[in-house]
Amino acid sequence: MRKVFITGIGSISSLGLTVEQQLKSLRDARSGIGKATHFQSVYTAQLPFAEINASDDELKKLTVCADPGVTRTTLIALKAFQEAVADGKLSQQQLSDPRTAFISSSTVGGMCYTDSLYADANNKGETSEFYASYEGSNHTLQIVKKYELKGYTDTINTACSSSANAILLGTRLIQSGRADRAIVGGADCLAKFTVNGFNSLRILNETPCRPFDEHREGLTLGEGAAYLVLEAENLVGDKKRYAEVKGFGNANDAFHPSATSDDARGPLRAMRDALQSAELSPFDIDYINAHGTGTVNNDETESFAFITIFGKQVPPFSSTKSYTGHTLAAAGAVEAIISVLSICHGEIYPNLNFEQPISGRGLIPVTKLQQNKQIKHVMSNSFGFGGNGTSLIFSKCT
Amino acid sequence: MYIKEVCAISPQLTYGTEFESGHFELHDKGILYAIEPSYLDFIPASLLRRMGKAVRMGIGAGLPLVKKYPGIEGIIIGTANGGLEDCIRFLNQIVDYKEGVLTPTSFVQSTPNAVAGQLALMGEKTGYNSTHTNGSLAFDNAMLDAQLVLETAVKPMELLIGAVEEISDYNYNIDTLNSHYKSESITNEELIRSTTAGSLCGEGATMCVVANTADHAIAEVVDQFQVCFPGKEELTGLINNFLDKNGMSPKDIDLLLFGNSGDGRTDHWYNDLQQELFPDKQITTFKQFSGDYRTAGAFGCYVAVKLLQGNHRIYGFDHLRRPRTVLVYNQFGGERHGFILLRGNQASIA
Repeated sequence: MRKVFITGIGSISSLGLTVEQQLKSLRDARSGIGKATHFQSVYTAQLPFAEINASDDELKKLTVCADPGVTRTTLIALKAFQEAVADGKLSQQQLSDPRTAFISSSTVGGMCYTDSLYADANNKGETSEFYASYEGSNHTLQIVKKYELKGYTDTINTACSSSANAILLGTRLIQSGRADRAIVGGADCLAKFTVNGFNSLRILNETPCRPFDEHREGLTLGEGAAYLVLEAENLVGDKKRYAEVKGFGNANDAFHPSATSDDARGPLRAMRDALQSAELSPFDIDYINAHGTGTVNNDETESFAFITIFGKQVPPFSSTKSYTGHTLAAAGAVEAIISVLSICHGEIYPNLNFEQPISGRGLIPVTKLQQNKQIKHVMSNSFGFGGNGTSLIFSKCT
Repeated sequence: MYIKEVCAISPQLTYGTEFESGHFELHDKGILYAIEPSYLDFIPASLLRRMGKAVRMGIGAGLPLVKKYPGIEGIIIGTANGGLEDCIRFLNQIVDYKEGVLTPTSFVQSTPNAVAGQLALMGEKTGYNSTHTNGSLAFDNAMLDAQLVLETAVKPMELLIGAVEEISDYNYNIDTLNSHYKSESITNEELIRSTTAGSLCGEGATMCVVANTADHAIAEVVDQFQVCFPGKEELTGLINNFLDKNGMSPKDIDLLLFGNSGDGRTDHWYNDLQQELFPDKQITTFKQFSGDYRTAGAFGCYVAVKLLQGNHRIYGFDHLRRPRTVLVYNQFGGERHGFILLRGNQASIA
């Protein structure tokens, strides 16, 4: 099977508008979590958010997009997409090549402007400019149209593992020979719909999330978009190769619609399948970028899964959601890029806000920036509602 | 990839044998609601009450197959919108109660991956699980995903794939703003011949058991192709290439099963392609049965499988010769175009 390399990365989150800015925030241990100023909701007074520091108008300027009916989901997707394809040096001809796939993902999708959707869905007041943009896949279609993409296109929604599955699918398309190149990732912006949904489940922390801490009280919602350019080894030539997509596992927990099982059967199967497909043993993993949402349930289950697979030798791990918040569908791709930065720079970015290990588990994440490390293999986990879970392994190019 | 069994909940009596025996359910209210079975035989009442229609139909069509085929490892669903009714119900609460204290049921039910998640939960399937939401290509995406899983499997494997879409008042309102529906009143029997703007709204759940071995298969998925925003001539060339790649030419297609929706603004896509590439081929349509919705192409595949099996009793199909190959073509709004090439089980024909 052909190897699949990452040759371009683009990302936008509360840590910065570009990968470079985000890398600086990661190194400076500067979290993107704080008080939201662009997002309008009664909860901005009570809860912290990880908001992208740009208004919709600023994003329109940054992406040179003046089309009507373009939502914030599409704008942040466009921003990250543009950075990724420029970084991967893809020409317009390569973008429009039928053998270039585009796989995106989102949970809130085009429904990010709750109030205009309310008016249009209930036939109240004048029709908004977004009436044709509400579908979950609208941002994908807008990008396909704008960049005249002619290859395989897809949009995935497996909740919080969505963009991890986009990376997985892009890799398999290339391995199978159905595509030579794939632009993969996802986008989700802050929306009343999601905030109220997670709030109704009582899993939002009133202070910035503290993954893997004994006193964690829930997650912090964030927004973000990230795309990676994946290319078949025979096409890469002398291009920069950030890392190889080495392995993947997708499994379902089959336990509860919005909680993970005590025995971590889904996460365990995803992680084991990822190791097996990468032909690696647990001891080969140098760093785990954990799902680590900061909810009582997830971190307990994920810790159990780590101990089950790695025994007493759990590799260095951290949840960078302590920086970016939980960017939902985008999280898998945002964290894939952080994993790739770890490999390229030999660094591990810390798990912020950690004080005390979870009792009975005793696992301590990396809490200070580690540099000059040899990082060959990184595992990145994403688990979501509906029992969906995906584990990816990225490896240093040899 | 082989299809072992199909099941549909649709605006026709597809859950029993009536549809296959020639019954045609006439809908004259402008909306084709699905005819739902009694779910209580296999969904506990307490669970059923909480389920939105999309989830309910998805479980109704999928769970009996999951139970019947213990070899099913994973579940892959395509749905453009998932549980929209629950979604907007929750959204209305957000606005009406000014972001007050809300119950999470509608939120959890509204996520598009709730169908695949519930099927995994109720069928205890911890294997591969995914949900594609790519508009009218979502089922095509699910099918290719399955193909990738099956062709790399080292042992015989089965998966459940399918598509679900529900009509809610809200998406009907939004799609009406998008002029998707006819302003005049016609029945589904008259739909395909209509040339005015818009179509009739439909809904349903279609599920298929697919496998990487031909044992007991009822049809084979030869290949599929998709493209967005093509030009007319470009599309003709692309379909030629697609058939060529599979060692075929237009003359090898016995039957075209098209997603004509009676929308005078977009049906030319089907008509022109037929005239250009398949002028002397048998052609028929399926949206007179299902109505129009993003993932109706899955129902097209359901009908195609029945035809490949030799059923000619389906209403209006008595003149068709049994095909060995069927090309299903579905597009929505002229934006995303999906093609699925199916072949009958050669052994069963011989």
